[in-house]
Amino acid sequence: MRLAYWMYEGTAHHGVGRVMNSMRGVHAVFHAPQGDDYVYTIFTMLERTPGFPAMTTSVVSGTDLARGTIRLPETLRQVEASRNPELIVVVASCSTTLLQENLEIAAQSAGVGCDVLVYDANPYRMQETVAAESLFTELVRRYAAPQPLTPHPSVNILGPSSLGFHARHDLIALRRMLAVLGVEVNVVAPWGASVDDLRRLPAAWLTIAPYRELGAAAADYLEAQFGTPALREAPIGVQPTLRWLHTLVDTLNELGAARQPATARAITLPPLTAFSLDGRSAPSNVPWFARTADMESFSGKRAFVFGDATHTVGVAKFLHDELGMPLAGAGTYLLKQAGWVREQLKGYIADDQFLATDTFQEVAARIAELRPELVCGTQMERHTARRYDLNVMVIAPPTHIENHLLAYRPFLGFDGADVIADEVYTTCTLGMEKHLIDMFGDAGLEEVPEHTRTVEREEQEPGEQRDEEPALSSAPQPRVTRSSPTEVQPIWTGEAEAMLKKVPFFVRGRVRGNVEKFAIERGIAEISAEVLLTAKEQLGA
Amino acid sequence: MPPKVQFTREDGLYHSFCGLVSVGWLYQKIKDSFFLILGTHTCAHLLQNTLGVMIFARPRFAVSLLEEADLSSSQPQIADQIAEIRREHKPSVIFLLSSCTPEVMKVEFEGLAHSLSTPELPVLFVPASGLDYTFAQSEDSVLQALIPFCPVAPPEDKRVVFLGSVNDAIADDFALEAARLGIPVAGFLPANHFHELPPIGPGTIIAPLQPFLPRTATQLVNERECTILSSLFPFGPDGCRAFWEDLAAHFGLRIDLAEREAAAWERIREHTELLRGKKVFFATDILMELPLARFLRAAGAEVLECSTPYINRRFHARELAALEGVRLVEQANFERQLRSIAAEQPDLVISNIITANPLIGRGVVAKWGTEFIFSPIHGWAGVNPLVQLFTRALRRHTRLDPLGLDPIWTAGVMPSASGDVIPLAQQ
Repeated sequence: MRLAYWMYEGTAHHGVGRVMNSMRGVHAVFHAPQGDDYVYTIFTMLERTPGFPAMTTSVVSGTDLARGTIRLPETLRQVEASRNPELIVVVASCSTTLLQENLEIAAQSAGVGCDVLVYDANPYRMQETVAAESLFTELVRRYAAPQPLTPHPSVNILGPSSLGFHARHDLIALRRMLAVLGVEVNVVAPWGASVDDLRRLPAAWLTIAPYRELGAAAADYLEAQFGTPALREAPIGVQPTLRWLHTLVDTLNELGAARQPATARAITLPPLTAFSLDGRSAPSNVPWFARTADMESFSGKRAFVFGDATHTVGVAKFLHDELGMPLAGAGTYLLKQAGWVREQLKGYIADDQFLATDTFQEVAARIAELRPELVCGTQMERHTARRYDLNVMVIAPPTHIENHLLAYRPFLGFDGADVIADEVYTTCTLGMEKHLIDMFGDAGLEEVPEHTRTVEREEQEPGEQRDEEPALSSAPQPRVTRSSPTEVQPIWTGEAEAMLKKVPFFVRGRVRGNVEKFAIERGIAEISAEVLLTAKEQLGA
Repeated sequence: MPPKVQFTREDGLYHSFCGLVSVGWLYQKIKDSFFLILGTHTCAHLLQNTLGVMIFARPRFAVSLLEEADLSSSQPQIADQIAEIRREHKPSVIFLLSSCTPEVMKVEFEGLAHSLSTPELPVLFVPASGLDYTFAQSEDSVLQALIPFCPVAPPEDKRVVFLGSVNDAIADDFALEAARLGIPVAGFLPANHFHELPPIGPGTIIAPLQPFLPRTATQLVNERECTILSSLFPFGPDGCRAFWEDLAAHFGLRIDLAEREAAAWERIREHTELLRGKKVFFATDILMELPLARFLRAAGAEVLECSTPYINRRFHARELAALEGVRLVEQANFERQLRSIAAEQPDLVISNIITANPLIGRGVVAKWGTEFIFSPIHGWAGVNPLVQLFTRALRRHTRLDPLGLDPIWTAGVMPSASGDVIPLAQQ
């Protein structure tokens, strides 16, 4: 037993949900207590899904257990009736696994027409990543069928998935580069793939599987079973992207040349400007940016990189090789991938700078000890960075809703290199700014106590005074009251001041202003607790 | 006997959270507490996703993680973790919350908590497992655990104790309002600190501020012989008036708040005008649905359906009476609710956070119900924020241009979407 504050990976059933919600025409059913439905929210809120995610919790309640009721067959029938999927994957939860029920028999008794796979994802032995990878591989094994190769060079892209880190953006980046080369995309999976798409996987010439966490094992299977070679590197950074493009082109041309009869045209790498958004610029601005005077101060900033396998390795190398930043350390929470990550980072960090752990406190302790100028981590490292006042950027899951932004922000390809470099630049304290702070102390950034700020109210815009906003909103509210300098400011009694202190800080200023305005309008010179209460009621906040 | 108001019970409340989520507000309310959940990776992942999006330097909650090797042991060994918590956080009280897996393992929680308790640092068992408890219901469990630590008030101590966690600003409003009316106040359960719990005895009037605390109320009656105020909950002008008039009556005070109520309605008239005749459908899980629906109806809206996880005929008696004629559903089946929504075309659906975006994606104006839990909507000062929570969604969707309903604007967002979204709302 151990004390866990925060987790890195989700549960096995979340991994199953991610694969199911990536695909079309399939559905996950969780045989679980009602509360396990929380995973649904991660999709609907973080991914802002405009539809209902492809998963249903078949509720197990305390009463059901006492009575021996099992609702699974009824749930399967309801799911078939309302969603009509081709495949339902049933998975137990951490608590129902212990019940030792035979879910196969229960599922069969439902008598539904679609495929039903009872997936044995033991939540005590596997977590999100392994559960997702194993299920996806199992589905590829189950459905991939021998196919003639496509006439023109084509690839499968395996790995992009629902809630994958910047997955949708990475997929756009990959598609863009493939389009420039004239390479067809046969199937993308699991993102947007149907069961029928899985059947068509062996028609591709090559598999692109950039993520160690998802799709790599399916790529192995396709290679072993159907002889489809795989490109397994993640093109993170400019140099890796160039190597990736060369390998891709060379492999496809070799395959083309070996075909009987040989297919017509070989693929050629166009001028690199063809990969830019307008087709006539540098494909990435990183090589020049890294050499500018502005970036000199970055050569002294140390970074600590912690995350999944793919992004930890990719980002650590990028910071070191392309931005010239020294690494204070690196590591991963994916213990099964730790060996690979360590091997990849040989020559970048010493052995004792490597950390493999899924315990949040250990990572926090390492960061506290190193105090790096930049932490590249997960949402969890933001907690730690806040505690120690460090710069932090998120480079791997788990994520925050703030990591699910609208604009095109890939991590892969030339476009991704620019995105990561921008994130580093805006996260770190800038060079010049830091010199000034070092020389002059505070650069005017220190907090001014609330009591001394009365005069600032004169500078507020008139239009800011609005009551239609809710009293409790997520953003900090500015002080908004205007009062004419000729009016006498009411005085707050100690009791009223103490009551005001209890109003949440982000609306306190607005409440203070509104109450003072209320008092001034009524000629009240002293704001007592009684006045405050009356004003709050009258003003509605 | 409470009146026999009709409601139906369905079987399908599967879009909901377990009781562990109430840690999110309770650990902030009881400032010297620590919440320890005996659970699995699932519980930790839940907390991560419901609370981890806020950034905490030092969270005062954690999971004592059951791993595979721990499944075979009869009683979990967590003494070392209690010591670590004491060292790191120095709490005055530790709440030990149950979860599904240890419930299935039949961990004897009462004994476990007792064995870890010391006079200086009590460890209190709180039943919160998702097998039995939904959402805010575990606040009921936490307050039950606190009852033994409330001093016993002598019979002549005739004062009110407000029941339910509210923030300090709301608590001040209620204390001051009571003072205005001449109602003596003994305190709040819970208080901000473990050692500030109010005295409760046979003379105490318990005034519930939250509608999800029936077990605490019952236990207080049984153990302290106090009186539970049976009234409306203090939401909206109608609720506030009934609440304060009925509470005052317990102290022999006859007050008439008719004018006060009328003035409060008048102040929110621009909102009630917007709500008048609007069809509203409650499909959420926050356990505040009954008073919210009652307020909306009083404000002129038509409540098509009000579903809630649990209805307590005695604790909710006055709200149920006020909802006479409204379709009330316990444990609603969400698939059925989707069909009803498609058929009845509500103007506003109060959904839970889990289903809000998919409903909006189908052209429904959905308001995320959880926001009612986290907003200062109690009492007279809460009237305006309360009504605005309802009208904000309506106004916002009216302001947005209608392009949002064209599927082109959600293309590619959701990989599993078939592309042909079937709208629940007529366009």
